[in-house]
Amino acid sequence: MSSEQVIDRLKNALGDKLKGTFAQTALRIYAEADPADIVEVTRVIHNDLGARFVIASGMEMETDFEVLYHFAFENMPPPCPLVTVRVHLDHEKPLVDSITSGVPAAAWIEREMHELLGIEFKNHPNMKPLLLAEDWPKDVHPLRRGRPWEGKVDRKI
Amino acid sequence: MSSPWHLLGLLVFPGFIFMAAVGMLVSWVDRKVTARVQYRVGPSVLQPLWDLLKLIGKETVVPRGASRVAFFGAPLIGLAGAVFVGTMLGYAMFFHMGFNGDVIVALYLLVLPSLAIILGGSASRNPIASVGASREMKLTLGYELPFILALLVPVVKVSMAGGAGPLTLTGLLAYQAEHGSFAASFSGLLALVVAIICTQAKMALVPFDQAEAETELTGGALVEYSGPALAVFKLTKMLMFYAVPMFVVAVLWGGFGNSPGGIVLGVVKYLVLVVVITLVRNTNPRVRIEHAVKFFWGPVTALAVIAMVLAVWPKW
Amino acid sequence: MGVTVKALMKSPWVFHVSAGSCNNCDIEILDCLCPRFDIERFGAVLIGSVRHADALIITGAMNRKSALRVRQLYDQAAKPCLVIAIGACALGQGVFRDSYPMVQPLDEVLPPGAVTVYVPGCPPKPEAMIAGVVKALAQLQPAAKPEGAEKEAADVQ
Repeated sequence: MSSEQVIDRLKNALGDKLKGTFAQTALRIYAEADPADIVEVTRVIHNDLGARFVIASGMEMETDFEVLYHFAFENMPPPCPLVTVRVHLDHEKPLVDSITSGVPAAAWIEREMHELLGIEFKNHPNMKPLLLAEDWPKDVHPLRRGRPWEGKVDRKI
Repeated sequence: MSSPWHLLGLLVFPGFIFMAAVGMLVSWVDRKVTARVQYRVGPSVLQPLWDLLKLIGKETVVPRGASRVAFFGAPLIGLAGAVFVGTMLGYAMFFHMGFNGDVIVALYLLVLPSLAIILGGSASRNPIASVGASREMKLTLGYELPFILALLVPVVKVSMAGGAGPLTLTGLLAYQAEHGSFAASFSGLLALVVAIICTQAKMALVPFDQAEAETELTGGALVEYSGPALAVFKLTKMLMFYAVPMFVVAVLWGGFGNSPGGIVLGVVKYLVLVVVITLVRNTNPRVRIEHAVKFFWGPVTALAVIAMVLAVWPKW
Repeated sequence: MGVTVKALMKSPWVFHVSAGSCNNCDIEILDCLCPRFDIERFGAVLIGSVRHADALIITGAMNRKSALRVRQLYDQAAKPCLVIAIGACALGQGVFRDSYPMVQPLDEVLPPGAVTVYVPGCPPKPEAMIAGVVKALAQLQPAAKPEGAEKEAADVQ
């Protein structure tokens, strides 16, 4: 399926909820969504349109946090584009709904984003640390800007 | 021969020293053929000896709370079983001495090394070792029945033909020296095939080495063993590499005849079995334990039962 | 030299520990077992249980979680046991030196004098690793005679 066909399908299924869809290249489609709508958008893309959830990325920018969800339309004839849906979150208190109700595979990546970046996910079924050691302080998020772990963790075991 | 000579027979020839030398040589053959099949060079001839000597020089770590009696007794039980069965076999083949029922005793003694792995694994106080021990238990339950049935086919044939001493190793060897090896008959051939498959499992070689699956179970039942105790387990494996194929050759494939030509032919048969076992080991993946048990209780036992039934008629 | 020490030099069983490595060194270690280099002709086998090990091959920079386990593994190995540190990460944490999960480097995690040989590289070539293993095995031999040491010092001058 070409990227135009995929964009048409997305617009038909989601209408207003998906803003600013454009195809950067033939295989990469980008779109934006509101944090309030993201559960519905990802559920439609994953369950109704049949795309595979690849991964999610979290980033701290200068003024806000961004979370990107990547889906691959693989059950279609080639070329199969990768669709990325972006949400912008508040810089002081990054909070978004967890998409695990529609996409159960997102559970672990949301745990990772929570412990490394401090993004809160509402209604997550199992919010436990995934990668950091057991004795790591819970309020220090290493992948934030400015080396926040300096002075807060012991460098010897 | 009087008793002191028998002690020498147990310890030197055809007992422990002879078995250990042949076992180390054959285990080197196995590693060299494996390496060659994988397009590598492989170790030198003395490598198994260096392995054992090195293990003797390491410390032995006993897990806390493990039963020391079982932990150290298990390898010795396996070693004793292997040594005794090899000695009995050697006496029957080289000196034509045995006792009534020694085939049955040999079959019992051949189970002892597997029991040693089960006991050692269970005594190690380690969940990985317990999984290895339980797999070895399941595997033993699987292959023991067809193995015994296959090795009793000659007994049935000899007793139906009215030969002397059907339950003695010397009787079976004498019958084969007179009438040709059992493998020449159809039921004997089936029994030989079944015995080779069960040998692969008895010696814990791929595709049936689930008990000691090193890539999967990090050592399996032997995960907690180190030092001299591990050396005894490795030595027992080498002794079984001598004893089990030689047992199959003696009981089903003609053994060593009386003439020098017969001895050479016997050695060739033994080496053919060893190479077949090694090649099967190198060309197959390890199967899951359920599949192995289903395999042994299904086709292999069926073959063994057919061989046993056909053995009643002398033409078959 | 005792026969067991000679046997240890002829039959080093190797246990591979990856303490959070990027797996590049691990791939090169597996290269050593493949037909081109084939260290099995020297008696080295890759074994599954740490208790059977004569040489621990350690790759990876020590992060909080793995450094604890490396120390436990060293205690579990049956002595005498060589330790071969492979790759820039195992030597001095490589490019990850100031990163957030790093603790002290390998030779401070293990007891002093435990590491026998350091093999630098990122990753080291299999030839370098084999040279390192040979040097580690040679250390099992009794110390060289004093006249040899004086001659070496004279050469350096």
